Formats: sequence, structure tokens, C-alpha cells
Amino acid sequence: MNETAHRLRTAAPALALGIVALLGLGFQLQLPRAFPSDADYRAVAGALATARAPGDVVLLHPWWTERARLFVPADLPVVGYLGDTRDDLLSHPRIWVLANERLPRTPDADFRRNFLPDRTPAGPAQQFGPLTLTPYRNGRARRVVLSAIDVLDRLEVSVEGSGGAPAQPCRRNGARVQCPFDASVEVAWHEVLYQPVRCLFLVPPGGGRTVTLRLPEAPAADALLLEAGITWEHAWLPGRADVQLQLESPAGNLHLRIPGAHEGLVHGETPAVAAGPWTLRITTANPQDRQVCIRLRALGGPP
Amino acid sequence: MSRAPTVVDRRIALGLGLATFVVLWATERQVGFVRDESVYFAAAEQFSRWWSLLFHRPAAALSDPVITQAFDFNHEHPMLMKSLFGWSHALFHQTLGLVRPAAGFRLPAFAVAALIPALLHLWGSALWSRRAGLFAALSFFVVPRQFFHAHLSAFDMPVAAMWLLVAYLFWRAAEDVRLSPWTGVAFGLALATKHNAFFLPVVLLPFGVLGSWRVAGDVGRRVLVRMGQTAVAFLGYLALLLVVKGRTELVQSWQPLSPQTFGVVALVAGLTVLSAQLHHRDRAAFVRIAPLVAMGLIGPVVFFVHWPWLWYHPVDRLAWYFDFHATHVHYAWTYFNEVLRAPPFPLAYVFVVTALTLPVSLLLPMTAGLLRSSARSLGDLVPALARRFGRGGETEWLLLVNALFSILLISHPEVPHFGGVKHWLPSMPFLALLAGREFDRASDGLSSALRLTARRSTAASILLGGLVLLPAFTLTVHVHPYGTSAYGELAGGIPGAASLGLQRQFWSNNVTGVLPWIDANSRPGAHLWLHEVNGLSFRDYQRNDMLRKDVFPAGGPEDADLAAVQYHQEFREQEVQVWQAFGTWVPSTGLYIDETPQVVVYRRSAP
Repeated sequence: MNETAHRLRTAAPALALGIVALLGLGFQLQLPRAFPSDADYRAVAGALATARAPGDVVLLHPWWTERARLFVPADLPVVGYLGDTRDDLLSHPRIWVLANERLPRTPDADFRRNFLPDRTPAGPAQQFGPLTLTPYRNGRARRVVLSAIDVLDRLEVSVEGSGGAPAQPCRRNGARVQCPFDASVEVAWHEVLYQPVRCLFLVPPGGGRTVTLRLPEAPAADALLLEAGITWEHAWLPGRADVQLQLESPAGNLHLRIPGAHEGLVHGETPAVAAGPWTLRITTANPQDRQVCIRLRALGGPP
Repeated sequence: MSRAPTVVDRRIALGLGLATFVVLWATERQVGFVRDESVYFAAAEQFSRWWSLLFHRPAAALSDPVITQAFDFNHEHPMLMKSLFGWSHALFHQTLGLVRPAAGFRLPAFAVAALIPALLHLWGSALWSRRAGLFAALSFFVVPRQFFHAHLSAFDMPVAAMWLLVAYLFWRAAEDVRLSPWTGVAFGLALATKHNAFFLPVVLLPFGVLGSWRVAGDVGRRVLVRMGQTAVAFLGYLALLLVVKGRTELVQSWQPLSPQTFGVVALVAGLTVLSAQLHHRDRAAFVRIAPLVAMGLIGPVVFFVHWPWLWYHPVDRLAWYFDFHATHVHYAWTYFNEVLRAPPFPLAYVFVVTALTLPVSLLLPMTAGLLRSSARSLGDLVPALARRFGRGGETEWLLLVNALFSILLISHPEVPHFGGVKHWLPSMPFLALLAGREFDRASDGLSSALRLTARRSTAASILLGGLVLLPAFTLTVHVHPYGTSAYGELAGGIPGAASLGLQRQFWSNNVTGVLPWIDANSRPGAHLWLHEVNGLSFRDYQRNDMLRKDVFPAGGPEDADLAAVQYHQEFREQEVQVWQAFGTWVPSTGLYIDETPQVVVYRRSAP
């Protein structure tokens, strides 16, 4: 017995090396089973094309599995960015979760913690190779009565001086509204803390001036949701100025501040609002690296 | 036991070196041009033109303005490797036409990288056994990232090779004083390769001084004390000058006849005289310190002579060189879903990234080797550890310190953390060496437990070695030529690392994965935006026939017909800008390694 134990102990380092090597090999051999084929993705695309409805969206899990974009129908939005499980996706009543849980270290805990609350399966899960396609009813969805990005052509845009100087109107130049003091507004895709956002992209004016966006007629809504964030890598830069946003509407005033080094969107919501004008004022003491992505939406109840 | 290798081991080392060179050459064609590499290609071509001028019109070539013009480009790094790249390109591509342009530049990098397995075998076989040496040598280049970096006309793998060479010669010279001058030459070449080498004296000084002190008699120790006093006096003098003049003035007022020059000359002269005294009075003590003396005397000379840019303005240009690296910009780097952009960086970063990028079958013996080495070294100080693990001695300490030094240096929270593992590559050969010992012990134990005959023991070692190296080998084959994307099993491979939120790739070379599609799908005259690929690399892809010559570089998505976006967490905005410019979020194709997006290609929608 002692002899056997001694021999085992002597051979233990070799056994450990061999076992770890076999585990490593095993991992590498089984890993390809987690990879969907093109045919799997095409089958997913086929299923989506058949079952899709207006307002649907596809959410990738894990978030980085963006090869799916090659196959999903081109007009069906695909969401996949770091932190997307926290996205309310409020304009989408149904979310198709395209998951690959065979991939190593899939962040399931994050998915359960941040995505699942307020979401319930809206149908059976379908399996396509390692991919699982599951429709969810989005309990966080709201009816979007109006979005500012859809009414850029109706916005009255001007720049106001800080000392009560008269407002100077901006002029339209193609799809962009060009303002004095190098300010501008346009509708564009931009990134805010890894999230692609289609928004009012505002380059603020210098000298502490204020850009004013005014919508003369807006419908009544349950709430106005204002979100804003600094685009790309400029957000984190130290020593940059705050951005102040002031929304005036029949529901009253809503003030938001994007602090100097804040990454991501800040947001605020008004109570129910009657029909009437909206006025949004944006000011920063120094416009350097303060390009702002703004979403302003009038929300109704659940769709 | 002699530190000199046997004839057989020399031949094995030569074979390992040659095999490494051939394998690197045979696999280089697929490897893209990392951002820095095309800069070094351009610099190498420029410098080789200067060498040609030196040959034909030496007086003109040696003038200050011509030297400045020729060497000002990319003077962030010294000249040794770039000169070799340029000469090799001129000979093997331009003159003989034997290889494509990129291979012409890269051949010297392969040759220098090939030193590593050769030296690992020489050292491992002398220390422990041929089996240990062979395992150490073979294990080094089956690590995917190390295999990748060995292909590049860059300096990270060369300086790892030079570091190993200096440490090995330093170790050998303690036994054979004839190797001391070669240690000095190797140190000079290391300085001429990359600035990491300036830390070599910090690592080796204690070994030389303590080794010499230990064997010195009373007379020898008195000389050693005087040598120390001379060095301290120089440092004191330098500190005084700094206080009096300030840093800027100290540099600007440094002339051939100046207090600064006096200090350096006095130091060199003093140490030379004292070394001669030591040689005369205590031969044994001199032998141990001779490699350091050679490093001090020969190294700086080699460094200065090899770099014409320093010849007319040594002080201010050296000061700029050190300043540049001491205040290097921090590039964004993703680590567990956080984009690191500025210090302080996480203390464990280097250890964690090393563990997650190494194949686990090599990580285990490396870690065990490092722990054993630590325990044995500390056994010199703690008897309880010595009873359990044995005493380390000088060589054990030397291996341990070299294995840890670069890792600990880069671990400092204020040191730039970009670049994957390449900045602490000089540690990796030593970890491979320690892994070699662990493998040797394991094989020995296996043979002993199974009571194998010598022949069967050899067969068992080969089987075990093959088994341990196989996962690393398959990983390397699988990921080649996309080495900056490689992650080991502990990370969950490349997809696991993506979910963990680790840096997906860097240096832009993965674009080679989509160039064939672009070649097949772009019209003549198309404008192509290769995100993160600099203009020189774009040119290099075209002149190496990896990209059609009738497509043109675009400055951004706005003026491009096709865009290839590199996936970096910090560059998400640029992909979104492509959506905006092209009117689509649907890619046309991409490089997806194990499902992870690496390079995503978009084509502008038809108007």
C-alpha cells in the first residue's frame, strides 16, 4: 500500500501535467460545437422573417455575437453592445433574444439580472444548432407618440447669447442645421458608452451660449423622456465642461446635467404633458469635446 | 557541473534555431503588417539608403545634416534591428529577388527570435537535463502570442532574445571569464535593440557584485568597496549637478569639456583602474565582476556607435529618447469590460493577462516552476523552506529575478499597459526555462514510478512532452496568423475572452482576414477605408500583393465605398459612423474568429 502511494506521489506531477493537457485538448475539441454554421443563422433569419411584426427587435446574447448581423433581415434592428441587457428597448414591444449559451463564459447572470425583469416569453424557444431564438414580451415598452429625431424639419433652432443678447437663428444646410458660433444639429448615429444611438447630434456653440430647439406644436403624452450623453471617447476626458439641458413643456421644466467626465446617457422624465410647445435649451461653458447625442421622446402607455 | 554545453547540445541548439527560423519564414506570409511594423519597414529602407550613401560618398553621409535627415524618422527606437531589416530587404528582395518585400524585412527578426529556443536548450540542458532544455525550447514558440510576435519586424521579440542572451552569457561568464567581453557586446546589442535593455544592469548588478564579494579575499573586498565608493561618488556628483543646474540646464550645458563629462570620464576611468587592480590582486573576485565591467565599458560604446543619430548630439538626443519612453502615451485597452485609458492601472493586470493568454498546459508547469524557484530561492534565507524544497543558490535567484522582473516592471500601475503581452516578453523565456525543469521532474517521477528502463523512460518523456505541448500547438495553429486575438483555455478561448470583456485584438494586422474578399468584391478605383491600418501598411499590403493595387485608401467612411472596421471597444463610434455614412448596419462580410467579430466589412449601399 505504501509502495503504491509512494509511486502515485512520484508520478503525480506527470499525471497532473497529463490531465491538464487532456483537459486543454478536450476544451479545444469541443469548442467548435458552440459555433453556429451559416445554415443555422440562415434558418434563424428564415424564422424571423416569417414571425416578425412591426416594432420587433433582435437582442444578441452574449452581446458580442454580431456575426448574426450578416444574416438577420436588413430592416430588423439588431441590438448587441456591451451593457445592452440594461437597455429598456422601450420602442420595441417584442424582443427576439438570439442566444448562444454553449459559448464559454456566456454572461448568463448578467442576462438574468438585467434583461429578464419585466420580460416574459411570448412563445416557445426555437433551436438552430447552438442558437436559441426566444421571443419575449417587453414589459418596459412604451408607445412612442413622437420622437424629436423624426421632426427635425419642424424644429426651430437658434443660438442665444449668455448676456440676454438676441437669439440668432440657424439655417438648414441639407440634413444639418447649421448655427452661428460653430454649433450644429443633425440626426445621426453615434455611440454613447458603446451604445449605438440614433439621435439629435448637437455640436454646442462656444462662449457659454445656448442652443435652443423649439417644437411649436407637440401632442399630449403620458411623459416626455429626455436622454443625453457625450459621444464616443470624449465623454471620459478629464477637465471638460458640464452640459446643461433644460426642457420646457406644458408639464413644466425638466433639468438634466451631463457632468464633465460622465460616460453614458443621463435621462429624466416629465409627468403627463398636455399638447403644446416644447423648448429644449442646451448650454456648456466650453464646447471642446462636448458633442451631445440627444433623444427626446413623447411616450404613451404600453403598446 | 560545467556550465558549458556539450557538443551534442550545441548541435541540438543549432537545429532548434534553424528549425525555428524555417518555421517562422514558412508561416510569415499570412501575418499582417502591424501598425508599427510598416513604420519600421519605411525606416529600414531609409536607413539602408544612408548605408548605401556611406559606401559611395562617406564624407557626405557622415555630415550632421545628412545623418539627421536620414535618421530623424522613427528615432524613438535605436537602430540595430531596423538596420538589419533594411540590409536584409536590400539584399534578399531588392538585389537577389529571392523573397517578397515583407519577408526581406522580416528575415533578421526570424534569425534573432531563433536564438531563443537555442539558448533555452543550451541553458536548460546545462542546468538540469537535455529533456528540460528541449521542453523549454519547444514550449516557447507553441505559445500563440509568442509565435505571432516572432514574425514581426519589430523589437519586442528581439529584445526578449537579447535579454536572454545577455543573462545566459552573464551566467556562463561567471565560470569562463573569456565570455565577459561577449556579455558586454551582447548588452550593447540589447541596448541597440530596445530600451528594455537599460534595465539589465539593474537585474544583473546584484549578482555580479555579491558573487564577487563572496569569493573575494580581504584585498579584493577592499577594491570592491572602492569600486562601490566610486559609483556612489558619481551618483552624488550627478545629484549635486542636478540640484545646482536643474535637469534642463544639465542636459543643455553638457559639452565635451564640462563638469558632466568630467564626472562620466572620472567614473569610467576610476572603475577601469579599480577593475585592473582587482584583476591583478584577486583573480577569482575579478572573474565574477568582469561581465558587469564589460557591460559597463562595451555596452554603451556599442549603443553609441551603432546609432549615427546620436553622434553629433549625444546628450540632448539621448535625453529626448529617455524622455519619450518615460512619458509614453497611454493607449486605450480593454480589461474586464473596462476601457483602461490612464493610470493607475490594475496591479494584477500583467499576471491575469499572462494567465489568460497562455495555454493552460504550459501555464501549469510555468507556475509550478516559478513557485518552486521562489521557494528554493527563499530557502537560502528561510531554513524551513530549504528543508522542504532545497536551497536555490545564485542561479536559482538569477532565473527567478529574470522571470519576474519584466512582469513586475510592467505591473507598476503608472506604466503603460497596452500591447497585450509584448511588453513583458523578456520574462517569458525564463518562465519557459522553469517550466522545462518542472517537465523534467515530472518525467523523472513518471519513469521512477513505473520503473521504466532508460529506453522506455525516453519514450515516456516524449509521449508526455508531446501531450503537454499538443494543446498549445493546436491553439497556435488554430489562431495563426491572428496572434493578438489569442486566449488560452482559462479565459474560455477567444469567445470566452470576449464575454469576459478582454481586449479583442490590437495592432490592426487581422485585416488580412478580409483582404481576399475585398479584392474579389471591389471595383477598380474603389475607395477603401481600412480602419486603424495606417497609410504605410496600406501601401505594404499592395506592394506585397495582398491587396489590389487599383483600390485607393479613403480617409474615413464619408469618402469610402468599402470600410473594414477593426473591433475595439474604444472604437465603437467609428463603426457607427460607417452605419451613418453607408446607410446600413448590415455588414457584407467580416473576420469572425471563433464567432468573435474582429474586422467587420461594410459596403456602401447603391444610391
